[in-house]
Amino acid sequence: MDNLALKDDYGTGTQVTQNSLQLIAFSIGEQTYGVEITTVREIRAWNGATPLPNTREYVRGVINLRGTIVPIFDLRARFGEGQTSPTKNHVVVVMSVGDKWVGILVDAVSDILTVDRNDIHNVPEGNTMDTELLNGIVTHESRMVGLIDLHAVVSGAKVDG
Amino acid sequence: MSDLDDFKATYFDECSELLTELEEQFAAIQGGDRTSDRLNAVFRAIHSIKGGGGAFGFSELVAFAHAYETLLDHVRDGRIELGETVTVLCIRANDIVADFVNAAKAGTKLGAGYGADERQQFDALTSGNAPEVRAPAGGDDESGPAMDEFDLDFVPVMVNLETAAPVPAAEEAAMDDNFAAAPLVADKPQWEIRFAPHSELYARANDPLLLFRELANLGELTVVARLNEIPPLADFEPFGIYCTWDLTLVSPTATAEQIAEVFEFVEGNCDLSIVPLAPRSVTSKGDPSLADLAAIVTPPADAAEEVISFADLADAVKKDMPKRAVPVPAPAAPVAKLLKPAEAAADPAPSMASEDDERRTGPEDRRGAGVQSIRVDLDKVDRVVNMVGELVITQSMLTQQMDDTLRARYQELVRGLEVLAQTTRGLQDAVMAIRAQPVKSVFSRMPRLVRELAQKTGKKIKLETIGEATEIDKTVIEQLSDPLTHMIRNSADHGIETPDRRKSLGKPEIGTIRLSAEQAGGNILIAVEDDGGGINRERVLEVARHKGIVAADTTPTDEQIDQLIFAPGFSTAETVSDISGRGVGMDVVLSNIKKIGGSVHVKSKTGQGTRMTLRLPLTLAVLDVMLVKVSGSPYVIPLSSIVETIQCSRADFGRAPSGAKVLRVRGEYVQVVDLANRFQMMSEADLGNRFVVLCEAEGGVKIALIVDDIIGQQQVVIKSLEENFESIDGIAGGTILGDGNVALIVDVQGLKATKLHKNAA
Repeated sequence: MDNLALKDDYGTGTQVTQNSLQLIAFSIGEQTYGVEITTVREIRAWNGATPLPNTREYVRGVINLRGTIVPIFDLRARFGEGQTSPTKNHVVVVMSVGDKWVGILVDAVSDILTVDRNDIHNVPEGNTMDTELLNGIVTHESRMVGLIDLHAVVSGAKVDG
Repeated sequence: MSDLDDFKATYFDECSELLTELEEQFAAIQGGDRTSDRLNAVFRAIHSIKGGGGAFGFSELVAFAHAYETLLDHVRDGRIELGETVTVLCIRANDIVADFVNAAKAGTKLGAGYGADERQQFDALTSGNAPEVRAPAGGDDESGPAMDEFDLDFVPVMVNLETAAPVPAAEEAAMDDNFAAAPLVADKPQWEIRFAPHSELYARANDPLLLFRELANLGELTVVARLNEIPPLADFEPFGIYCTWDLTLVSPTATAEQIAEVFEFVEGNCDLSIVPLAPRSVTSKGDPSLADLAAIVTPPADAAEEVISFADLADAVKKDMPKRAVPVPAPAAPVAKLLKPAEAAADPAPSMASEDDERRTGPEDRRGAGVQSIRVDLDKVDRVVNMVGELVITQSMLTQQMDDTLRARYQELVRGLEVLAQTTRGLQDAVMAIRAQPVKSVFSRMPRLVRELAQKTGKKIKLETIGEATEIDKTVIEQLSDPLTHMIRNSADHGIETPDRRKSLGKPEIGTIRLSAEQAGGNILIAVEDDGGGINRERVLEVARHKGIVAADTTPTDEQIDQLIFAPGFSTAETVSDISGRGVGMDVVLSNIKKIGGSVHVKSKTGQGTRMTLRLPLTLAVLDVMLVKVSGSPYVIPLSSIVETIQCSRADFGRAPSGAKVLRVRGEYVQVVDLANRFQMMSEADLGNRFVVLCEAEGGVKIALIVDDIIGQQQVVIKSLEENFESIDGIAGGTILGDGNVALIVDVQGLKATKLHKNAA
C-alpha cells in the first residue's frame, strides 16, 4: 500500500489503482449511468438509423460504422420510459459486448469517473428491471450512478413471429 | 520454427488436394475406368503424402501409407488384380490415410491399432503374390486390367543389344563374350544411371540421397559424385547446383521400369539417363569415366541405341524398341543424349503418362496441359474482391448523383461514367472468376460420408454426383460443406430405407442419393435427392404440434409440412443416433444457407423420395438489387427474384375467403404481403401510389410484395446483420447504400416460409 500511496502524489485527485474502476458516465434525463471505459469503442453524434422490423421498441435500428452494421439500442426505451426523440445533440456510445459491437443511444455523455470497486453497492431488490439491467450502483460526488449490464440490455431484442 | 510451420501448412494443403484426387480417381475406377493413368495418379498421391509425412516425422501415417503403397505397387504391376475387394479395401485405406493426415494436422494420436486390420489385409495380399509367382509368359492376360504394359520384363531389350552392332573394335571382343553368355546377362543386368538434378528438384524438397537409397534396394549400387563442376568458393552460389552423379546398379532382377520408377517423382526436375550395360563394364565400376561410357554406348548413328528415356521406355515395353530407339549424334555427347523427360513426354505412352497427361484424365477437368497456375493466399484475393466491391458501390453512387441537368451539362463526364461502369463490371467479373471454384471440391468429400453412413446405418447407399464442374464462389463453397453434410446425413438416416424394407417395397436394394449442381441464371442450384420413403408428414406434423411449432388448430398444406423440418429444434427421430436426430441439423442448414444469401426448398413424395434444393447466389460480394422504400426506410430486393413490378392502382387485387389479400396476375392468384404491415411499421403512402413487386420464391412459388416506392436498381455489397445483432425473420441481411445509410435486404423466401409460423402464433 505504500507504493499506491506514493502514486497519489502524481495524481490530481484521479486515482487509478488496482481496485478502482473507470467509467464513462452518461445521462438519460436526470439519471446518470455508467459503463466500464474499456468496453467503449467510440462515441458519436446521433445521425439517424435504419429501423429494423420485428424488434422491440428499444431497438432503434442499425447504423453503418465504417462498413459494418451495428445495432443501436435506445437506453431510455430499454428502461421502459418510452422512446427517445433523438436530435443531433443525442449521442451514441459504441461498445463491445462479447464479440459484438452495439451502440447505445443516450442523451449526453457527461464524464469519466474513477470509482472504487468497494464502493459498488448491490441493486436493491424489488424492481426486476433494475436488478436485471444494472450490475450495481455506485455513488460519485453524491450522485447515484447505475452500472449498466450490457449483456442484459442487448438481449431479447427480437420479437418472434 | 515458423518456416517449418509454413512447410507443414503447405503439406497439409497438398494432402487435402491429394486426398480429393484419390477420391476422384477411385470414383472413376469404381465406375469401371481401370486405366493405368488412374492407378499411377493414386500411387503418386499416396507416395507424396508418405514422403511429406516422413519429412515431418508422422511415423504412423508413413507406416500405413507405406504398406498401402506396397499394395498399390503390386496392383500396378498386375500382380494383384484390381477387383472389387481390392478397390473397396483401397477406398477404405484412403479414408484411413485421411484420418492419419487429419490426426497429424490436429496434433492428436489415433489409437495404436488404427488401420491395423487393413495393414494386415495389405500384407496378406502382397505376400501371397510375391513377384516370382508371376508367370513370365501369358501372365498378362491373368493380371487383370491394370498396367499390362508393366508386365514385360526388360530382358527383350537386352537381346536387342545383339542388333546394335558394330561396336568399336576395342570393345568388340568383350561384348561378344557377354552375348555368348546371354542367359547370364539376363540374370545380371547392370545399369548406368546418370543423374543431374535441376534446382527445382531441391526446391521441391526432394533429396537425391533418398533416391539413391531406394535404388540401393534394387541391387548393388555404386554412387560416384561428379564434383568437377563445383566452382571456386568465390564463385560459389549457395543455392547453385554443381553436383551430378553417376551410378552403377548391378541387380539380377531390376528392370528399367523399376529404375525409372525411383525417379518418377523427380521427373522433369532432372536430367536423367538410364543405360543398360553389359556385365563387362564391372571393370569400370567405381570409375565410370566418360570415355568408357561413351565407348560403350556409342554405336554408329543409324544403329539402335540403348539410352532409355521415359518415353522410349514406355515404347520399349510395347515391343518396338528398335524402331523407337534414339540415335546418338556424336561420340562427344557423354552417355549419349541426355534426354529430358519433359521433352520425351511429348509423346507419352499410356503406361508412363506425364503429369500433365494424368491431370487431364479427370472427366470434366478443364485444366489443360499448357495451363499455368499460381497459388495465391486467399486473403489477398479477398482484399481485391472487397476493394472492387467498394468500387462498384462508389461507381453506382456517382451514377445516381447524375441528374438530368448535370447530364445535359457534362456530357464528357457522363461518357466517362459509362466507361467506368463498364470497366468496373468487367473488373468485378474477372475478380469473381478468380474466386470461382468447381463444386467438385466439396462434392468429392461426400462419397466418404455416404460410405460411413451406409456402414453405420446398415443400409446400402450409392452416391451419384452430377455437374461437379459447376463453378461457384469459394466462400459459398466453404459454407456449403456443413449444410450438404447435414442434408446427406438426413437422406441416409431418414430417407433411404433398410435393404430389407426396400426389397419388400419392390425397390432396388441399394438406395441412391443424387448430388447435383447446375447454374440457373444468377443462381446455382444444388440438389440432394434420395429415392427413399419421403417425408413422413403425419409424424412431422405430430412432432411439430407437440413441440409447439404449429398450433393445434391450424392445418398446414403438405408443402408447408415439408418445410417444417427446417424449424429450429425439430427432429422426428425417436432415437437420437450419432448421425442425426438431435434436432440440430436442418435448421442449421437453413441458417447457413441464408447467411450466404441462399434459400432451401424441399419437395417430397411419399414412398418415392425427397429432393432438397439449395439456391445459392453465384457470388457473395455483390448483389443486383432493386431499391425500394417501406415506411420511409430503404429496403432492397434481390433482382434475381423479381419477376415484375406493377403500380398498385393498376393491380388486380382480390380477397381470399380468409380475408387475406390476393393478387391476380396473368390468370394466377398470388399471395400478397404488405411489407409495411409485415414489418410492423406504418405506411404513409396511399395504396394507389404504392407498388407491387412480384417475386418468385424457391420452387417457382410467387409472392407479391407491396412497397411504398421504387427508387431504382443498383448493386450492393451484402453485410451481415448477425455479426453484431441477430437474424431477423424476413430480412436476409443488410447493405450500405451510397449515402452511407443502411438498407435491409428483403428475404423473399423467408417471407413466404414464415407465413405459417405467423398464422400459428
